[in-house]
Amino acid sequence: MITAALAGNPNSGKTTLFNALTGANQRVGNWPGVTVDKKEGWVKKDRSLRIIDLPGIYSLSPYTLEEVISRDFLLDEKPDVVINLVDASNIERNLYLTTQILDMGIPTVIALNMMDVVRKAGDRIDTKKLSQSLGCPVVEISALKGEGLEDLLREAAAAAGQKKAPFERRFSAPVEQALEKIGALIAGAVPEERRRWYSIKFFEQDAKAAEKTGLAPEALGAIDKIIKEGEKALDDASASIITGESYDYITGITSACIKKSRKGLSASDKIDRVVTNKWLALPIFAAVMIFVYYISVTTIGAIVTDFTNDTLFGSWIMEPLAGWFEEIGTAGWLASLIVDGIIGGVGAVLGFVPQMLVLFLMLSLLEDVGYMARVAFIMDRIFRRFGLSGKTFIPLLISSGCGVPGVMASRTIESERDRRLTVMTTCFVPCGAKTPIVAMIAGAVFGGVWWVAPSAYFVGLGAVIISGLILKKTRPFAGKAAPFVMELPSYHVPAMGNVLRSMGERGWSFIKRAGTIILMASIVVWFFSSFGFVPAEDGGGTSFAMVEEMDESMLAVAGTKVAVIFRPLGFGFWQATVASIMGLVAKEEVVGVFGVLFGVEGDALGLVEDGDFGALSPIAAPFTMLTAYSFLVFNLLCAPCFAAMGAIRREMNSGKWTAFAISYMCVLAYAAALMFYQFGILIAGAGFSLGSVVAIAVLALIIWLLVKPAWTEKKAAAPLAAEAAR
Amino acid sequence: MPLTMAQIGEVNTIKSIGGKTDTKNFLEHLGFHVHGTVQVISSQAGNVIVNIKDSRVAINKDLANKIMI
Repeated sequence: MITAALAGNPNSGKTTLFNALTGANQRVGNWPGVTVDKKEGWVKKDRSLRIIDLPGIYSLSPYTLEEVISRDFLLDEKPDVVINLVDASNIERNLYLTTQILDMGIPTVIALNMMDVVRKAGDRIDTKKLSQSLGCPVVEISALKGEGLEDLLREAAAAAGQKKAPFERRFSAPVEQALEKIGALIAGAVPEERRRWYSIKFFEQDAKAAEKTGLAPEALGAIDKIIKEGEKALDDASASIITGESYDYITGITSACIKKSRKGLSASDKIDRVVTNKWLALPIFAAVMIFVYYISVTTIGAIVTDFTNDTLFGSWIMEPLAGWFEEIGTAGWLASLIVDGIIGGVGAVLGFVPQMLVLFLMLSLLEDVGYMARVAFIMDRIFRRFGLSGKTFIPLLISSGCGVPGVMASRTIESERDRRLTVMTTCFVPCGAKTPIVAMIAGAVFGGVWWVAPSAYFVGLGAVIISGLILKKTRPFAGKAAPFVMELPSYHVPAMGNVLRSMGERGWSFIKRAGTIILMASIVVWFFSSFGFVPAEDGGGTSFAMVEEMDESMLAVAGTKVAVIFRPLGFGFWQATVASIMGLVAKEEVVGVFGVLFGVEGDALGLVEDGDFGALSPIAAPFTMLTAYSFLVFNLLCAPCFAAMGAIRREMNSGKWTAFAISYMCVLAYAAALMFYQFGILIAGAGFSLGSVVAIAVLALIIWLLVKPAWTEKKAAAPLAAEAAR
Repeated sequence: MPLTMAQIGEVNTIKSIGGKTDTKNFLEHLGFHVHGTVQVISSQAGNVIVNIKDSRVAINKDLANKIMI
């Protein structure tokens, strides 16, 4: 069996090639960094060839997690051959990684991808000459069209037999002298075929590579001296010397092998001139987003969602099923479990799937075209002020549809600090399922005034901004947002296969969750809301049985007990508490539960959708405007639904962080609603009370958290300052 | 002068790259190396998109200020 490692720059088409070779269905995005872990598969036609898809990297120096994974694999697992995918349309930068791979002495085959783009631009690449200069086979391929793959596999299989790829590149005389001296010092400590590579790494002062060799301190001291001499001779840092000379070497090769016809800007650059223009960027972005939302939420999405909710689940599944159960005489509790508990709960979530699929389709399209990467850039200057990165914007945007894919979208953020911050804040944005709550409060309590709905978005965005500002000063998030560096892919016509696959994957993981965690939660909540201790029919004592009305259920009893903690927020009655708890299943459940608990005629959610607020007036009865808005604020910001919590757990990949994120949301929600209500009644003339004191204290605390100096590690501060002064 | 002050469309040669070792090395691996050429495609309040070695890289103001042309 032959093991081939697939290595290449981010966004060079590696995943596409991997899929073409193995027939796998990995996700492909026109967004650098789609592959985070290494994946493996067998070649479709030749099962003796195993392919490992390494993450996209720019170099083999261990600065990023991806680079570490790739380098360790190449060093420790010793693949028989490396297939180095090179994007011909920016060959110089791609060959930089190639030189580093060749330095390692592993047999390598270069797969020259995107030659069609090069030819279209009128450029010519002499692959024979390139192959001679680099001393390894070069095969022209098109990963997208599946061209040249057989040649590539044949060359890879042939190269796999070789012991050492004949690669000899020479650095300048001072560097070569230094490398020779280092080579002599480390001989014996490293495998002979890796001596040259380790010499270079030692010269670059690559601590991770040095660690691996376990060299004696005396030898390290001697190497240090050699490096100092080299740096002095060439007046630069050793690592920069190597990089600079590598690029000089590459430029030497490419100028001999490549004929460029174009002098001006490429089509992609011309588009960027307009789309990322200082003045036009934001208006164009706003227009694109309005269009996307208009299509996916207002028109097509709404039609399909209404059909799924009302017709498919309502009249085609639930009603006939309920009737059929009655006919065959199923036990009442079982019918209730299946119809109200399972189908009702899961259906409510699945009802959003069509709308989300349309939204995902549009977003996948924008991503595949290459626009999403630009959006991150455009938004970065705004988000940086709040301690967030421009890459946070995409998750926030998607969360306005649904928090689950929103949380998932945070995966493309490389910096762990920025990613965690994004996961923690993204659910504050009102999602599609929270809009019925907003609509109910606005319609039933506020008489349909226009400002309630937009204000909900401001509450959400405000929570994101305040959280960014507060959290970035705390210990786990201290320090600046990672500097924004991102390669922007070329614009290209979207490949429908990629778009549909990306849409399908996002949609499917949502549906899968509806089938597992939401199913479980629905059953549990159904149980607690349908059973309770009721007075026994014979008169004496109570018995545990199914309840007629929800207000006799265990949930109501528990809700009444818990309700007291919401008294300072103004909505300390059990119905509001139960509704909030039920909101954990799916946020639109809040409306449904109110409907049931207040005995609204008909389906409350349906009434909200139809704008029939008159029928909802029983809901408005226990609320004042203040308490209703306080309730709204709490429900907008508190823990998201189970599905989103599951997503947070997955992206945080840590129980502790998940718990922290969810507790943070709940605490912030409580604090915000408390302040709103307490200051509200104070202004309304209720008089100063203990509640007002607490609210003032909370406000003071938040202001202090906002303005306090950021957390810094005293010990770390000194060397960092020295570094900055350099 | 720093890259943030470059004219849009102008091709410039990189004179030096400053900053912390990690940042500097990362930029170098992306293709920003001394003597290399860089062209600003678009600029927004100091954040720039540049063409470097035929690829487009977006970098924010903090980093762009460390690249001297």
